[in-house]
Amino acid sequence: MTDKIPVTVLTGYLGAGKTTLLNRILTEDHGKRYAVIVNEFGEIGIDNDLVVGADEDVFEMNNGCVCCTVRGDLIRVVAGLMKRQRPGKPAFDAIIVETTGLADPGPVAQTFFVDEDVKARTQLDSVTALVDAKHVMARLDDSKEAREQVAFADRIILNKTDLVTEAELVEVEQRLRRLNPLAPITRAERANVPLDQVLGLGGFDLGRILDINPEFANPAHGEAGHVHDEHCGHDHHDHDHGHDHEGDDHAHDHAHHHGARGHAHEDDIKGISLSLDRPMDGTKFTAWLDRLLGEQGQNILRAKGIIDVSGEDRRLVFQAVHMILEGDLQREWGATERRWSRAVFIGRELDEAALKAGFEACAA
Amino acid sequence: MKTTFDAQITAIVFDAEGAVFALGDGSVRFEDGAFSAAHDGAILCAVAHPSGEGVITGGDDGRLIWHRRADAGVLATSARGQWIDAVDASAESGLIAFSAGKTLTVLDAKDAGFRRDFQHERTVSGVAFEPKGRRIAASTYGGTALWFARIAEQKPTFLKWAGSHTAVTFSPDGAFVVTAMQDSQLHGWRLKDQKNMRMGGYPSKVRAFSFLSNGQLLATSGAQGAVLWPFVGANGPMGREATEIGFDEGSLVALVASQPKHGLLAAGLSDGRVWLADPAGQGLNFLKADRGAPITALAMSADARRVAWADEDGNAGVAEAG
Repeated sequence: MTDKIPVTVLTGYLGAGKTTLLNRILTEDHGKRYAVIVNEFGEIGIDNDLVVGADEDVFEMNNGCVCCTVRGDLIRVVAGLMKRQRPGKPAFDAIIVETTGLADPGPVAQTFFVDEDVKARTQLDSVTALVDAKHVMARLDDSKEAREQVAFADRIILNKTDLVTEAELVEVEQRLRRLNPLAPITRAERANVPLDQVLGLGGFDLGRILDINPEFANPAHGEAGHVHDEHCGHDHHDHDHGHDHEGDDHAHDHAHHHGARGHAHEDDIKGISLSLDRPMDGTKFTAWLDRLLGEQGQNILRAKGIIDVSGEDRRLVFQAVHMILEGDLQREWGATERRWSRAVFIGRELDEAALKAGFEACAA
Repeated sequence: MKTTFDAQITAIVFDAEGAVFALGDGSVRFEDGAFSAAHDGAILCAVAHPSGEGVITGGDDGRLIWHRRADAGVLATSARGQWIDAVDASAESGLIAFSAGKTLTVLDAKDAGFRRDFQHERTVSGVAFEPKGRRIAASTYGGTALWFARIAEQKPTFLKWAGSHTAVTFSPDGAFVVTAMQDSQLHGWRLKDQKNMRMGGYPSKVRAFSFLSNGQLLATSGAQGAVLWPFVGANGPMGREATEIGFDEGSLVALVASQPKHGLLAAGLSDGRVWLADPAGQGLNFLKADRGAPITALAMSADARRVAWADEDGNAGVAEAG
């Protein structure tokens, strides 16, 4: 058996720069062989790689799970790609799935958890959302899909930063953070992000849920779990800018927070961060999480957490996409490590007070 | 005969002369050593040519190619180079049908100028001729479309059933259409009254199904043994129980192969073994008893005397059944 092929999903509405990024991924001299699944045949297509058109064929599974929609075309295309596999060698180094601007990332991601054949051969690595710094505020206002794409992402690439002012960027970043406190935001011009910030992120890999900091999703430099995001931490709750920003010359000017758009944005989707300093009752917590995802899974786009279970030396980690939950006991807590539980739920119309009460009631 | 290829074997077909292996590198290898490298990409589907000579393959290069031992030629291409996902051919009518995206195309092996293109609302996943080769079933999301193969302008009969249908076949008497579904079950329709038949209970997706014993049995993969549905009388499997042969807790039947006019069944397992059995008799005859990589392709010759298999590691073989 060969290793599972990592799959990266690129979302973003029209004009956000997906095609530019794809072209960069394909043309950069990396010696890798990629298969790219695009929503229709575009202008891309490079020697060694394969570009496949797909038709966003979304359907519901008949398995009784109401939010279990998958992409039938992906099941078909992945099966076809695997036929190029040679004995003992993977067919491709990675698969990249580009979605249309109006696509809901949920069914794309769920396909990689639900279909037995796809699951046997591939591993969903991460979902990256591209947003256009100039137009993203308007898109987030008028498009549910744009909000969902940001909320669902493991990484957000804030593109075309050269077209707006620093103050506008800070404001955009605050709103993106409220929609998605988990995903690091990378600023870019003409989609010029290092490829290791798009590929190989391990966004769904329980073993890579190293740290989740409820107030500041991307931990500071030097701390475990920090993703080298050159523009980390513009959330206005965070004033910890004591660390070095390599190659980052922008001023940490927090005076722009109350600009014209300011705090007027109350998006229907937001990320809710929970934490508890006392150990939790493992059985209670699992029952609460199961019930929560069962009842509100349709509205919960993503969730991740690290739980300190009473009487257990290892960390309980979990991640969820709608109702699909994966959890495992991970490594042991370090001797000097702060033992605490934290979780982030990103979703629509979530009741923060109820979630907090439910979470804290799981204390041992 | 036993051999190893350096690419994945995606399909095996018997033509009049012997076994033909279709590979993921776009080549076709005949059992006698003849070689045809015609596709630029992987072969996704294959079927014996209606004449009995050679094999027709559909590729991810959007080409449908007829390979013979001495030469190969392109029969058709798909619009915009779309993948050719499914192909079938009828020796009775001499027609060939293939699907690419939402389009089902019909060709005539004896008339190069004949071509019919039929559109569907959703992507076509499988195609199957009825036994006389005059009608075609195309499975899609939400059901199966039935077309008259030669008529240019027509509205298909659509057999509806909610869910994603991934493959289709006709019973040898032409009375039933059966599909495999995404959610580990089969669905069937009796054509005379479009009565639905649900055939479920599988632990895994059904990748292969095949009629045998003059159409009285439909064998399928997808369980720890080969599942056999009775198709006797006007009601087919309605109200009847399926049986299972060769049950083995430690493996799944990945593929099955049989011939409608003969009573033998071949099964390829997820642990690399291949067996042959007569459902009316006792016991399994292991054609390949050693375990290994999962079986990825399996075929039985028209006279049911030979079985060809291939596994995921590129190993392939042809065994005598009798």
